[in-house]
Parts: sequence; structure tokens; C-alpha cells
Amino acid sequence: MSDPRTPEDEAKGLLEQIADTALDDDYYVVRTEPYGQSREFNTVLTGAVLGLFALLVAIAAIQTQSDRPTSERERETLINNVDARKTSLAKREITAERLRERVAELKASVDVIDPAFEKLRVLTADSGAKGPGIRLDINEGRILPNVIADRDLQRLVNGLWYAGAEAVAVNGKRIGSLSSIRMAAGIMKVNYDPVGPPYEIIALGDAESLEERFSQTVVGREWEARSKRDEVSFDMAGSDELMVEAAPKERLTILHAKAIEGDE
Amino acid sequence: MIPVIGLAVGVIAGLIFQPTLPTGLQPYLPIAIVAALDAVIGALRALGERRFNDRVFVVSFISNVIIAAFMVYVGDQLGVGSQLSTGVVVVLGIRIFANAAAIRRRIFHA
Repeated sequence: MSDPRTPEDEAKGLLEQIADTALDDDYYVVRTEPYGQSREFNTVLTGAVLGLFALLVAIAAIQTQSDRPTSERERETLINNVDARKTSLAKREITAERLRERVAELKASVDVIDPAFEKLRVLTADSGAKGPGIRLDINEGRILPNVIADRDLQRLVNGLWYAGAEAVAVNGKRIGSLSSIRMAAGIMKVNYDPVGPPYEIIALGDAESLEERFSQTVVGREWEARSKRDEVSFDMAGSDELMVEAAPKERLTILHAKAIEGDE
Repeated sequence: MIPVIGLAVGVIAGLIFQPTLPTGLQPYLPIAIVAALDAVIGALRALGERRFNDRVFVVSFISNVIIAAFMVYVGDQLGVGSQLSTGVVVVLGIRIFANAAAIRRRIFHA
């Protein structure tokens, strides 16, 4: 039995042959030398080789084990990262919320606390205003068209200022310090916005004294007279609750004039 | 008794020292273990058939491990590393199964 292979082996398929000669041929060799016959399993040599085998397996197992924690650690680090970012995001959102509240508070305090500034805004037509006042309804009479000129309205508004008006609006257009009333190409313009008859003029102030004082002015008498001639219609009525809007932004913007410092 | 002690010593040494294989050698470890397993199963079969020879076992074990590792190395160098490893694993796997079947037949007579 020195050579277990037979010619039939050669004809077999490769895989079959592998399966048939699974055991190393050497095990079948009959040895003649003194140590060759050693069929003892219980030898140091066998033990050493098996120990080596066990070591290999252990190394592989440990390495696979230690590789897993690495990826797990990475995962954990990522999760921790995400959590940390979420926490910081939440913190920042809270901070942002607090700051927003603070801003709102400050804005409110700015708006509320300074009455002098508010007065100034009303005075310069920067903000809408309400209160008692008089209301003038003016329209052209049935006889002649275009009898109300810009000069008439200018003098009327001037008369109202004289009579003690604190805020005036013509057809809803607030008269501020930069406002103008003029006629261009037959169209009446207030604050550069076209308006037309009938005109509704609101003047805030003490209703009674406004009415009285305006009636006594030259302008007031003139309008009365014109209305009697049916040239125009002219109505004046006092009210406790009137409202005027703020002037448009472009009528409130100054580019060149600067306040003199220290001027009270 | 000595082989069992050897196995135990190998496992314990591995657990205690936890040696790490150099990165360059890591691809060869699994295939070396398969080759070693083949040698060990073959030895068990030979033991059952009363043909065991410790020198044959040692030589077959070491040569199996070295040749398997060498084939993977050559495969890596040729750019067919995974295919060659597959071939080695297939052949060794068939041998392991055949030997295991022979052992089974001897023990259970089936």
C-alpha cells in the first residue's frame, strides 16, 4: 500500500478525487525507520501543533471581536455627536427665543416709554393720530367746474393751522412739514398724490374753538360767502373721534438738513 | 492528555496575551485556519483508522498552513486574490467534509 492511487483515480473528476484522497497519503505509508512507526497521538509534538492551532483560532476570534467594538465605538461616537449637536441646537433656539423676547421687550419699551418722542412723531406726521377735531366737506358747486384751486386749499389748510389744528389731512393725505398742495395739469396733488373733489379735510384739535376760530378767519368767511353764492358747497362739523393717517415715508425723509447739536 | 493540554494552552495564551496580527498578515489568517482545520480533521480520521502518525500530522499541518497562505499571497500579487482563496477554501472544504464523513461512518457505522 505504498501508493494508494490507482489508474482509475486519474479518470475521476477533480472534486471526487479530492474527496477520495481527503486523508493525506502519508498516513498510509508504512514506515521502516525506528521513529517512523510512532503512531502515538499523545506526544509533545502533537500537543504543540494543536496548541498552535488553538492560538490561531483564538487570535482570529479575538481580532473579530475587537474589530466589532471599533465600529460600535464609531457608531456610539456618531450618536453622541448627534445628541450633542441636538442639545446645542436646542440651547441656541432657547437663546434665540430669549433674545427675540428681549428685542420685542426693548422695542415695546422704546415705543411705550418715550411720550415726548411719540408727541414729536404726531407733530411731524410720522405717525397716525386720533382725537377730537372738525371735519370740512367741500365740493364744487353746480354752476362752474374747477372752481377750487390749489391756492384755495393751501389757504384753507393755513387757516386751520391758524385756528389751532394739530394735525390736518386732505382726503386722507396727511399734511406734514414736507407736504405740498398744488395743481398740476388741472389735477390737484397733495403729497404728490392726486386727489379730486369732493374734498374731505380733517383737522384735529379742540372741536369748538377750531370751528369758532376758523369761522372768524378771512379764509373761513370767504368760504362761507362762496358757499352762499352756490359756487361751492362747504360743510363744517365737529367730532369727538377723528383719525388721520401718517404721512407717506418719502414725505418724512430728510437727506441734507441735520440737527444742530445741543440745540434744545 | 498532552494534545488536550496543548489546545488549552493555545486558547489561554491567545486570551491572555491577545496578540494582534500585523495588518499585512491579516488576510492570511482565515485561510490558514481553514488549512489547519483540514489537517486537524485529517488527523482525527487517521487516529480513528489507527494510522495516525505525529510527524505526518505536524508536517501536513505546517505545510497546509504555509501553502494556503502562500497561495493567497500569490493570488494577491496576481490580482486574483479572492478567486484563489475561494479555490483553496473549496478544496480544503471538500477535504474537511470527506474526512468528517469518514469519521462519522466509523463512529456511527452509517
